[in-house]
Amino acid sequence: MGSEKKPEKFVVSIGPQHPALKEPGHFEFGVEGEIVTSATARLGFVHRGMEKGTESRTWVQNLYLMERVCGICSHVHAMAYAQGVEKLAHVEVPPRARAIRELIAELERIHSHLLWLGVAAHEGGFDTLFMLSWRDRETVMDLLESITGNRVNYSANVLGGVKIDIDEAKISAIHKGMDFLEERTRHYMKVVTEDETFLGRTRNIGSMSLDLALRLGAVGPTARASGVTYDVRVDSPYAAYADFPIKVVTDTAGDLEARFVVRIKELYESFRVIRELIDHMPASELTTRIPRRMPEGEVVSRVEAPRGELFYYLKSNGSDMPERIKVRTPSLCNWGSVLSTAVGHKLADMPMILAGIDPCFSCNDRMVLVNQDNNLSTWSWEDLRQYGIEYYK
Amino acid sequence: MDMEQKLQAATDIVKEWTISTNNPEANRVDAVIAPENVKKAVAALLDAPWGYLSAITGVDHPEYSTDEAGVKHVIPDKGTLELLYHFSGGAVVFTLRLTLPYDHAVVDTICDIDMAAQLYEREAAELFGIDFAGAPSKEHLVLPEDWPAGVYPLRKAFTGLKQS
Repeated sequence: MGSEKKPEKFVVSIGPQHPALKEPGHFEFGVEGEIVTSATARLGFVHRGMEKGTESRTWVQNLYLMERVCGICSHVHAMAYAQGVEKLAHVEVPPRARAIRELIAELERIHSHLLWLGVAAHEGGFDTLFMLSWRDRETVMDLLESITGNRVNYSANVLGGVKIDIDEAKISAIHKGMDFLEERTRHYMKVVTEDETFLGRTRNIGSMSLDLALRLGAVGPTARASGVTYDVRVDSPYAAYADFPIKVVTDTAGDLEARFVVRIKELYESFRVIRELIDHMPASELTTRIPRRMPEGEVVSRVEAPRGELFYYLKSNGSDMPERIKVRTPSLCNWGSVLSTAVGHKLADMPMILAGIDPCFSCNDRMVLVNQDNNLSTWSWEDLRQYGIEYYK
Repeated sequence: MDMEQKLQAATDIVKEWTISTNNPEANRVDAVIAPENVKKAVAALLDAPWGYLSAITGVDHPEYSTDEAGVKHVIPDKGTLELLYHFSGGAVVFTLRLTLPYDHAVVDTICDIDMAAQLYEREAAELFGIDFAGAPSKEHLVLPEDWPAGVYPLRKAFTGLKQS
């Protein structure tokens, strides 16, 4: 005590295991004192070989496999896959089925963004916001369950259409749910843009300029918060987005606060388009016939998942099983933004910056502090989170 | 700019290195290039700037033999690998395609001109056995550390690891 301490160089290793959430990841942050000087990622801990798995399953079986790529945005995966297969088969999906696909996709976006709002608030030490937003998220989870029968992996799609329909009772329940959620979301907007303590954790933290976002290939709300105008729903409308369009929400600040604002404004857009969809639901069949064997060919199918552009490449060799399916999820594009915006920030900001891209992994339970003399001390993710909260007290 | 113009613009940018083009869907054009030109073609698209790199897809094209029963079998170590560099620009997708033989599956990395390519390249490197010359890191990203060398799970010849 009392003597001047030289800043030590550490490598802070976060991850890879977390028992509570899926998708583990491993990060190593080089730190000098409190400031992060380098960042690397190691992924693949839950690489399940699904792309290989698709090659020994039929086109129909793969719909159920692809829906299980992600437990949060399962519908967009099934939809991207189904749309790709329908393009291969040259089949046109009936208008009502397309509208229902969009409806489920937007309900899913609401659940996903509210889930993220809660997780991000928790990482910032704002547990009241976490609990309230997750309580409200139940509204949309209940709606999804009442429409599809499932809370996750809704299984709304079949090849050539959808297997669920909505009736007057469901329409009125959705209206009620949207009204409640809209009111709550307006309150959350106030909280994340006016609460002094919370702004201390988000304003000017993890900033990414438009130029950098473009160079890193960031997608989704992470990119749109930096002013990038990509949104597949607008750029290349699929499902019923041509008839029931959404407006692209962007911000220019590029910091964590902007990522909150963009996602919350996207919720407003979702509420609006859902109301339009259920008020003007086209009448038609729900499915169309589709062959079991797909003609030879290859297609690209893109959709806007809650986290950004989801990219599917499908290749058929003319049989009832695919030759190759490639999936590129949006989280993959956004790792680059974490690794480069982390540099120069405080270690205490890392939980928020990691949570800021809404990574589809949220799963770091153990971290090891390694100093130059190889004296190890272990921190859990909870310790790091607490460290961040204490640091900003 | 409509889809045709946008695709034409991309086609023109990489014209110099293009061997052939194909128009598989209304919003897509594929341009086949020689592997040694990949860096120049990607740089030209990014500098233009024309869209962004959406994904790099690897595809295996093994050679097959057919037995008396008419069943096709993969001939190991014979075939080619294809790399597809998908660029998205609004509604359209422009793809650079190149083919590499099994016995010389080497192509220049594009990480130095597009940082986002690293994850895609490392995926293709591990799962297909493509060597990206000059890549910043060749450590395992998606496969376990103790995965046997020379075993590439997304090649058609791979049907599972042998029990030891």
